[in-house]
Amino acid sequence: VTDDEGTDRAPETPSLEKRVTRPGRHVGDRYVRIVRPVDSGLRGHEGRYVATEEALLPSGRFARKLERMRRFLMGRPLDVGAEGEQQVTPLTGLAVLAPSNVSSSAYATEEILRALAIAGVAALVLAPPIALALVGVLGLVVLSESRVMRTYPSGGGSYLVARAELGTLPALVAASALLVDYILTVAVSVAAGVVAVLSAFPELSIYRLPVAVGLIALVALSHIRGVREAGALFAFPTYAYLGGMLALLAVGVVRVVLGDFPLAPPSPPLAPATDALLVLVVVRAFAGGAAALTGSEAVANVVPSFRPPQTRNAILTLLLMTSWLAAIFLGLTYLATVLGIVPDPAEIESVNSMVARAIFGAGPAHIALQFVTAIFLLVAANTGFAGFPRLAAVLANDRFMPRHFADRGARLSHSFGIFALAVVAAVVLVMFDASVTALVPLYTVAVFLAFFLSQSGMLRRSTRDREGRWWTWALFHGTGAAIFGGLVVAIVITRISQAWVALVLIPLLVLMLYSIHRHYRSVEDALVLPGDMRVPRVRPPVVVVPVARIDRAALQALAFARSISDTVKAVHVSTTRESGDEFRRRWQRTAPDIALDLVESPYRSLVPPLLRYIDALDKSDDRPITVVLSEFVPRHWWEWLLHSQTAFRLKAALLFRPNTIVIDVPYHHRDTADLSDRPGDTQS
Amino acid sequence: MQPKRVLVALAGTSADPDMLRLVASIAKAAKAEVIGIHVIEVRWNLPLDAVLEPELDRGEELLASAKKVADQAGFELDTELLQARDAAAAIVDTAVERKCDLIVVAMPFRRRLGRVYVGKTVQNVYVNAPCAVLAYRQEETR
Repeated sequence: VTDDEGTDRAPETPSLEKRVTRPGRHVGDRYVRIVRPVDSGLRGHEGRYVATEEALLPSGRFARKLERMRRFLMGRPLDVGAEGEQQVTPLTGLAVLAPSNVSSSAYATEEILRALAIAGVAALVLAPPIALALVGVLGLVVLSESRVMRTYPSGGGSYLVARAELGTLPALVAASALLVDYILTVAVSVAAGVVAVLSAFPELSIYRLPVAVGLIALVALSHIRGVREAGALFAFPTYAYLGGMLALLAVGVVRVVLGDFPLAPPSPPLAPATDALLVLVVVRAFAGGAAALTGSEAVANVVPSFRPPQTRNAILTLLLMTSWLAAIFLGLTYLATVLGIVPDPAEIESVNSMVARAIFGAGPAHIALQFVTAIFLLVAANTGFAGFPRLAAVLANDRFMPRHFADRGARLSHSFGIFALAVVAAVVLVMFDASVTALVPLYTVAVFLAFFLSQSGMLRRSTRDREGRWWTWALFHGTGAAIFGGLVVAIVITRISQAWVALVLIPLLVLMLYSIHRHYRSVEDALVLPGDMRVPRVRPPVVVVPVARIDRAALQALAFARSISDTVKAVHVSTTRESGDEFRRRWQRTAPDIALDLVESPYRSLVPPLLRYIDALDKSDDRPITVVLSEFVPRHWWEWLLHSQTAFRLKAALLFRPNTIVIDVPYHHRDTADLSDRPGDTQS
Repeated sequence: MQPKRVLVALAGTSADPDMLRLVASIAKAAKAEVIGIHVIEVRWNLPLDAVLEPELDRGEELLASAKKVADQAGFELDTELLQARDAAAAIVDTAVERKCDLIVVAMPFRRRLGRVYVGKTVQNVYVNAPCAVLAYRQEETR
């Protein structure tokens, strides 16, 4: 800052902007040079600055190259104003959210037929009514989820409903169920897809695990770039599957109507038909086929990801994807029944493949449809990556999950949640050797539990508020709660050998979420300001400077210590009395004005005696203790190995010591600090 | 002529990027230092060091863009933001102070009634500069 005469005045506090008035060549000519942080990547003025994209660039050449590579993979950073750029239309949203839901059409029919086949071939005719009933339940899901989205448009789905209407514990059960669902959606779909794709290339099956983990990484990366990019990347397999299945159904129905009935492929003989336990078989078929309902829960969790009008677009997406699912599911079940398809007990060929082979014949169309189905199963992982990070962010905002889950990454996606999901799903895959299809019942239990809680919550809301035709909604949500509660019980009873994992995992997750919340609450209690508390004034601390040897680094630390307090004590740990005396003699020559304590450590230990010394000093004085450590910083990272890191060990030891401030004074290899006393320096 | 220090006056016109590329070819051949300045003209009814937020933001923006163009063109651009009553005087004074031997100004012009108007800044720099002046002529886009 300069005055009108051009004389420099020292600023009171450092400022990023410097204005220097310069005289011009002519009399009276003046101009102001504004030295601003143009190159720093910061813009702004008058104490308010904005960090631009340039500020994110590292300074080193190697680091810049790494950053460029990161930007190539993950895209350039987006500022907070670009939120709208990452919101998706229903068409893009479908590519991300539909795979999990629609892909269940690839195995829901088979689940029904497989369950009915236990009661004999005659029981297979029950498949279309069961499928029809399930589509009815799907309609109930669509209606109730639409109402949830309208009532809770901020995302969070079943968790938010349960939290608002039923309380914390049911909300945490819903959240845990959904988290399990998303993790397993990723693991199961990737495993199933990889197996399906690699079955065409048996010699590559040994690479199943690395391919599956690599695929998880690819889907995670696409989601870190943003939901929109993920939607664009995975739109092709989604729409290819939809096109293929619709073509199959159209050709199949036309052939059936025209009487051009294709011959059913030969199937292995089944056990003789029996009427025993028919009811249980139908219940099992219904519970198995209910896998078709999974995936629809994700839309309610990601409403804020849609372009405005968000709720309308989210409902439209849900409606479109469930319509596709209903059409494909009903059509396939109808064709399978008409064609007399019996599921293969050896599970070598899927029911869908048998239907496609019967309709198209064993040619290129059949193979292409199988390949598209396999790829589509792979991208079903998308839904998990769309839902998990959003739900985790909602939970993190409510302090039930670590705060990093709520942070937005460079591309405005919840990158920590995406990363965490990828890691957990990969661990699950490795644990189950990329063969986790046995865990399907686990996540259907989780989904239905979440649906049950959300329906119960909405029922409670309807009966409490009693607005308009509340009894219609109460009846509707009551039916929904009964169906999903019943489905949970049915799956637990009929598939207890697999569903027990959910019964163990969900309570464990609830406990974890609750413990995290308890920690945050205690931290908040400790940190929150009572009323309008001001910055307190404290007395200067007692400063302790451990000195190993008298060198530039030590002198710099001592000079700094003297600048913050008048009470500075240096302490040196020596192994013998002689070396201690020698140190004191040299000390008298270099820093005679700073008190020195010597601690003799005949057992050659350094850190414990220092800690004991600090403890003793702390007891003798009620002022806070400040430990100033001098630390030599070598030029290259590998040179750290050549130094003993005493300061680092001491820092680590003092970190958890109460009433102790630790200040690190780094001495860089290139430092040429002027350590000579200047006039006006405080002398103690 | 082999300039050792070049001063580029950046006004934020459409001619700036092309002018910087031209400067790149001169500076790289002569291994010259390049200084890019933008002058905010302050009206007489305001103090000379008044904080003019929109103008400052625009100035920073265009200097940052100029640096990007310079990076792409492969030379280093040292940028400076100034406030003055008269832009031409500040450009010439800075050139004198920084011992520049070449001033480069963009000369976006308009045709009105068959005549070409180049603005007073370019004319005053021409008249008062103690060193060589290079004017980059480009018709202003509307």
